[in-house]
Amino acid sequence: MEGNPDNEFCFSVNSHQHHPPAWADRLLNYFCRQDYSDEILGDLHEAFYWRLKEKGPTKAKARFTWEVIKSLRPKNLKSFYHLSLNTMIFRNYLKIAFRTLLKRRSTSFINIFGLSMGAAAFVLIFLYSYQIISFDDHHLNKEKTFLAYKERITPDGVQPTYDTWVPMKDRFLSDYSQVKAAARIYETDSRVIKNNQFIEEDMMYTDESFFDIFSFPILHGNENRIFGDMQSVVISSEMAIKYFQRDNVVGEEMEIFLPDEDTTMRYQVSAVLNKYPENTSYQPSLIIQLESIPVYPEIVNNWNSSFLETYVLLDEKESAVGLEAAFPDLIETLWGADVRNNTNFKLLPFDEYYDTFLGSKDDAYTLLFIGFGILLIAAINFMNLSTAQASQRMKEIGLRKVLGAIRSQLRTQFITEAFVTSLMAIVLGLGMVYFIIPYFNDFFGVSISFGMFSPVQIIGFSIILAIALGILSGSYPAIYLSSMKSIDALQQRMGFGGSVNFRNVLVVLQFSIALFLITSAILIRNQISFMTSKNMGFDSESTITFVASAGDFTDRDQGIVRLNTFKEELKNKSYMSEVAMSRTIPTQWTRSFTFVRPDGWNGDPLRMRYTYVDANFFNTYGIKLKHGAHFLPDSEGNQRESVILNEAAMKAFEFDPNEQNVIKIGDRRINVVGIVEDFNFESLQIEIAPTLIFHRTGDHPVHRFISCKMNMTNLPSRLEEIEDKWNELGSTNDFTYYFMNEQVESLYEAEKRYLGLVTMFSALAIIVACLGLYGLTLFIIEKRRKEISIRKVLGAEISGLLRLIFRDFTKWVVISFVLSVPFVLFFMTDWLEGYHYRIPISWITFAITLALVFLLVLMTVGYQSLRAASSNPVNHLKDE
Amino acid sequence: MNLQLGILEEMILIILLMKDETYGVDIAKEYESQLNQTISLPAIHVVLKRLEKKDLVTSKMGEPTAERGGRRKRIYQATNKGYEAAKYLQQKRSEMWKVIPTMNFVFQ
Repeated sequence: MEGNPDNEFCFSVNSHQHHPPAWADRLLNYFCRQDYSDEILGDLHEAFYWRLKEKGPTKAKARFTWEVIKSLRPKNLKSFYHLSLNTMIFRNYLKIAFRTLLKRRSTSFINIFGLSMGAAAFVLIFLYSYQIISFDDHHLNKEKTFLAYKERITPDGVQPTYDTWVPMKDRFLSDYSQVKAAARIYETDSRVIKNNQFIEEDMMYTDESFFDIFSFPILHGNENRIFGDMQSVVISSEMAIKYFQRDNVVGEEMEIFLPDEDTTMRYQVSAVLNKYPENTSYQPSLIIQLESIPVYPEIVNNWNSSFLETYVLLDEKESAVGLEAAFPDLIETLWGADVRNNTNFKLLPFDEYYDTFLGSKDDAYTLLFIGFGILLIAAINFMNLSTAQASQRMKEIGLRKVLGAIRSQLRTQFITEAFVTSLMAIVLGLGMVYFIIPYFNDFFGVSISFGMFSPVQIIGFSIILAIALGILSGSYPAIYLSSMKSIDALQQRMGFGGSVNFRNVLVVLQFSIALFLITSAILIRNQISFMTSKNMGFDSESTITFVASAGDFTDRDQGIVRLNTFKEELKNKSYMSEVAMSRTIPTQWTRSFTFVRPDGWNGDPLRMRYTYVDANFFNTYGIKLKHGAHFLPDSEGNQRESVILNEAAMKAFEFDPNEQNVIKIGDRRINVVGIVEDFNFESLQIEIAPTLIFHRTGDHPVHRFISCKMNMTNLPSRLEEIEDKWNELGSTNDFTYYFMNEQVESLYEAEKRYLGLVTMFSALAIIVACLGLYGLTLFIIEKRRKEISIRKVLGAEISGLLRLIFRDFTKWVVISFVLSVPFVLFFMTDWLEGYHYRIPISWITFAITLALVFLLVLMTVGYQSLRAASSNPVNHLKDE
Repeated sequence: MNLQLGILEEMILIILLMKDETYGVDIAKEYESQLNQTISLPAIHVVLKRLEKKDLVTSKMGEPTAERGGRRKRIYQATNKGYEAAKYLQQKRSEMWKVIPTMNFVFQ
């Protein structure tokens, strides 16, 4: 061994002002072979001082670091064996860790199983939330992409609408240099014609620049000319497989019927899209150019009707502000100064698309917090059980101390044990997740998978999670257990003392989280059952609706005739009591707006929804008339001069229902013949909107649905009968029907999924918490066994002993409950605010939760306590 | 003589021949002053180990100095074999040089 004898040199070196970076020095010193270190490190140091003189400290230091890194080549390194990682003691720690696990099987099981359930819940939640949080993230230009939309400034507030005009794109491109690209999107449906069959597919009309704004990589085709010409269609790889059984189908022809255009076109496939992630707003399957549709030349300069979405790609994110400030001038040029005052263009960051239209990222974050909560509960179990175990491991700790173990070594030992446990738990947890995912997806109607991440990411994530959990759950026992005096430890003098308070705090924390989750889940459940059971204002029972639009026929006029025949046939069926045609149905209510004023009012017009129904609509849906009269029977023809309002519209117009009211659309005067009671045509989340309901008979092409009151017995054969009739009509649309009660339920799909997730994970949280409590009870009873026995000998009753044990637990639950209440109030008030029709937060909910948790705690603690209290004291007193 | 010597190996071998006895930092200084080009110490260390393995140089531990943080030098010395190898390469190179037709390049 070569020593390091000349310490006096160090002093003279230290008198230099600058030194080589210490960390690099230590790094090399640690890893470098002993027999090379004098040469290499010595040379590097000497070179450092030489360069210091020649080139200054910065360069010398950089150079030194660089050379240290370059010196770390395999030949210069110590063999693994010689690294002074104390592998031997580590092996001992591991051995002890496994022995301890095996020695106390029940607590080990509680520990590992509880922790793995926590980890599994966390991973599931993470996968689910990540999918939502990373929604649309694969679009590289996401940050700079905006959806242009308009806002109407009306007397009752600002109303955003997201449909824009055909010429808007070109106007933006020519007027504003900040707009680098723009694309229009119109999503509709189409029928692919194959072997004389019409197959319904989603269709997107857009511009070639769509591919500059959104990232949809091309699998086959020319990247620079995605659409070859006006007869080109771009299809997804699924479509390629579906229609051609292979993916490279560039050049193939497709015949497509476009119901909106009432025309059939032949297209040639010019490109096939690569498979794109599922968590994306736009999921195109067939794409054609907007300019290729026959009606395009007529609408190219139409600033009067808005129906498509316009996206812009800006040079930088910040340009949006300046652009929005410039819009009013453009509006004035387009429509004049009047419109400038009541209309505004806005830019919606594409980042906010998900929250605006699809769901709530906040919900995803909330779930993520729940996941952390469960993980925390599981980690607390581990902390509590390990410290409780201390009483049984004190001899071991004492002996280790006597034999010269220092605190840091004991700490390392306990952290190692925690790490072993948490790693096992996470591997087990990941295994659970792997098996649960299919059921989870099925049950909640989502599609999560590990597929979003690479194996390296998953392994890295697991290790980081294991280390984090190990430190979180192991640090308290490590610090607490290693701090005991060896003499106390050997004499097992340290009872339950010192740690009790902290452990109680942890138990209280666990139960606060669990109570919070359970109360919230009950409240969410109540709100949803309130919404689904509340009288919607129309009759959804035994009501069936058929999709029947004249536009779906290749010949529209013939379609009207056939649909009316179909309707008459339905009417004549004995099991149909009411039949009505309408443009929209409740749950799929109108999104069309018009400007309307009450007669004799010269202020700004109101922007109001409108729809068309036939005379039998209100009867079919059981919507009650409040004032006035129904439309005259359809046999009287279209009643173009009549309108029926809902109550909300009546209030918006400030009409007196007992007078003859008139509304004006433009210069047309329309009589209000009746007012119907408000009915919820949308989710109860939203306030009922004022709606104008106009009359059109079935001879008019506006209708899209036929609704019937139907006797639901013998349903399958009746549906079959109706389907046969439908197929005779020759519509390009497949036979499609809805049951209204199911439609109403489906309004709350998102809420139900959320409820399901919250319920499932709150249940998990309380199970894991109880599991920990169970383990803790075992230790507490063990500890107090002698006390119990002596009390028994002195004549205590079993009930009195039980009370003794339960007193602590009761206290904990009550404190946890008190702590959880303000959080529930705060978060649930916030959540409920999102719903226009909502339940109050009642104290009964809290009472139910408290009772439920009490019951669970008693059950958890009860059996062990009862056994301890009723056991023969002799068995436990003869120990000593 | 069949020896694979890289250009850096040859350079350092020649520096060792020039210097009789020397070590890493000294080689780096010499290299930089002769060739006007920086070189990293790890590169020199690798080359020295290689030369040593080929028996072209030998080494022994020297005395510790202050600027080395009290560490000792490893002092290298070229062997006879090293001398022969360098000389052989030099000879071969001179022979080959003689064949190069200078005319083609000088008057360009």
